[in-house]
Amino acid sequence: MPTVEDVVSSVFGVNRESLNEGSSPESVEGWDSMGHMNLVAALEQRFNVSIDIDDVMQMANVGEIRQILAAYGVRG
Amino acid sequence: MEERVPHRSKREADTEALRLVYRELKEAGRTAEAHDALNRLVELQPTGGTAAFAHRERGKLGELGGRPVRIAILSSYVLDPLVPFLDVECRRAGLMPAFYVAPFNQYTQDVLNPASGLYAFGPEVAFIALDVEDLFPGIRLVPTGNELSGSRAKVRATIAGLVHELRARSNTLIVVYELAFSGWSPHGILDNRRGDGLSRWIEDVNREVAEDLSAQAHTFLMPLRQVLARVGGAQEQNRKLYYMARMRHGDGALRELARYSMRYVKPLKGLTRKCVVVDLDGTLWGGVVGEVGPEGIQLGPTAPGIEYVDFQEALLNLTKRGILLAICSKNNPNDVWPVLREHKHMVLREEHFAAVRINWHNKAENVREIAEELNIALDSLVFLDDNPVERELIRQMLPQVLTVELPRDASQYRAMLESLTDFELLALTKEDEQRASQYQANRQRQALERASGSLDAYLRSLEIRAEIARAAAHHVPRVVQMLNKTNQFNTTTRRYQTPEIERLLASPDHRVYVLEVADRFGEHGLVGSAIVCREGGTWRIDNVLLSCRVMGLSVETVFLKHISEAARLHDVARLVGEFIPSAKNEPTADFYRRHGFQLASDADGVQSWIFDPRRDRIEDPTWISVKTSGE
Repeated sequence: MPTVEDVVSSVFGVNRESLNEGSSPESVEGWDSMGHMNLVAALEQRFNVSIDIDDVMQMANVGEIRQILAAYGVRG
Repeated sequence: MEERVPHRSKREADTEALRLVYRELKEAGRTAEAHDALNRLVELQPTGGTAAFAHRERGKLGELGGRPVRIAILSSYVLDPLVPFLDVECRRAGLMPAFYVAPFNQYTQDVLNPASGLYAFGPEVAFIALDVEDLFPGIRLVPTGNELSGSRAKVRATIAGLVHELRARSNTLIVVYELAFSGWSPHGILDNRRGDGLSRWIEDVNREVAEDLSAQAHTFLMPLRQVLARVGGAQEQNRKLYYMARMRHGDGALRELARYSMRYVKPLKGLTRKCVVVDLDGTLWGGVVGEVGPEGIQLGPTAPGIEYVDFQEALLNLTKRGILLAICSKNNPNDVWPVLREHKHMVLREEHFAAVRINWHNKAENVREIAEELNIALDSLVFLDDNPVERELIRQMLPQVLTVELPRDASQYRAMLESLTDFELLALTKEDEQRASQYQANRQRQALERASGSLDAYLRSLEIRAEIARAAAHHVPRVVQMLNKTNQFNTTTRRYQTPEIERLLASPDHRVYVLEVADRFGEHGLVGSAIVCREGGTWRIDNVLLSCRVMGLSVETVFLKHISEAARLHDVARLVGEFIPSAKNEPTADFYRRHGFQLASDADGVQSWIFDPRRDRIEDPTWISVKTSGE
């Protein structure tokens, strides 16, 4: 299974090694509001889940994405 | 065609590897290869994220050059994510795109305000995407008959008004998305039985909008529903995207929209391909004719064989819009001709091919010869061959040729051909419809040339007739077409679109001339145009162009002579011919010199050649009879 870092790295084209729990729109190039939608689409596809809108809005960094996915039974 | 999707992890691994390759190329300053790696990256992983990544990276790489194109998007919903997909499609076509997206929901203000960002940007293509739910929110709530008819008129007027206002302020090509209703009708299966059904309503509005738009020059309706149907429902109806971000299309739909958009962009930029070079065995029919004989090949009304008939029909359809066909096959001619001439189920016959190479030579050599024979550039050819070795050879040796990755499965051939975006015309002219037969006449001309003792005797025996006139409204489509695709005999390569030419026709300070040529083998049609601007006591020849079909006959001489005579009649003291060298117009470089013009200046890439019509004369070629109407 891929990790959240794998997906973030693939969507924004950044090095996986440069990512950590706190990586967020402030630190990752391309992670703007449109980029966020692309990220959500990729997360849904890669982890085969459908993420609620309020959860999408809570996803402020890599750590929070991992926590939220856990609530869907996904280990990212 | 879509390639088969490999196992996801494999594709992920490939993508990651390609991303690394890209980084290396970028750091090594290998700009062209880096751009190409980005193209391949998006092809491999066509997601919004990857397309946006590629789009961002372009800004960091140096530009490659290539023809610029300016694309505007005006939409009632968020269509910004289309830009990265359009960007990669333009790059693949060798274009250097610039984009403008109207601020959210401000498309109307943008169009109405002459000082808006839209006009400051100066688009060459403007896509107008209005969603039916935005124009008529009541459509989701079982509208009454009155609401439907009122909205129908309103929606139609909104679109027509917007297009009208935009046209009044800009020469841009306008492409309006047709209306599409996503989701099911609230009437269920009764929808089509009711006068107030929604599918009928959408059909009616789209038909009316199509009528309005077809009355406007340089304006098109994009068949959005056909485009979206290629993607499948789940992608196009991604409601979550709409709820959260006012987006209406998912990644798959955006990619198809970008591809389809190129059907408008390519002809606008003169990138329409002119000729399809086809192989025979395994391409036009199944099997090897040299081994199984004419009766043994797969070609007929049942499978296997019907898929090749289907494919041949699609190729034949292309000839109806002026695309030429040529054969390039490794075979013994004696094995092939009986098939082309007598096989009961052949759709394509000898007369459909403008050039034929059936021999055992290297195919790159043959393809180059075909281009020379037809007098068209290699970058206007498409190469179709079922043999991957031949395809690779052409890709390596003649990269300008579009070598299509023909699917292994012949039942996919037709769909593959129809998915190519390289054969579109913004207008169909008489010249397009007659092109195939014109090349037939060319072969007769070449036979005559070989039989004639000298060039002079040949030119005399052709009985060339030239007709020169001031352009009228019915000439405009062909003039615009030539302005945008003629590269060799084109003095300035200034490209103008329909609205500009229409304005020139109405202007007292401009003259647009057209040249039609015929000879004993038939009509060449409208093959030359010239734009002359009166600037005080000077006439400036802004542009002269000539179709490559009639180069070498000296018809340009009678054309230029006519312009100089017209200038003399108006007592013009200075006739100025401009020449702007391009990568392809070398054959025109001495056009003004050899007609007695003197180089007066050469600044900022523009040469000015002058001629005194009151004193200087142009010698007429004696083998051309000239008819003129109007000076």
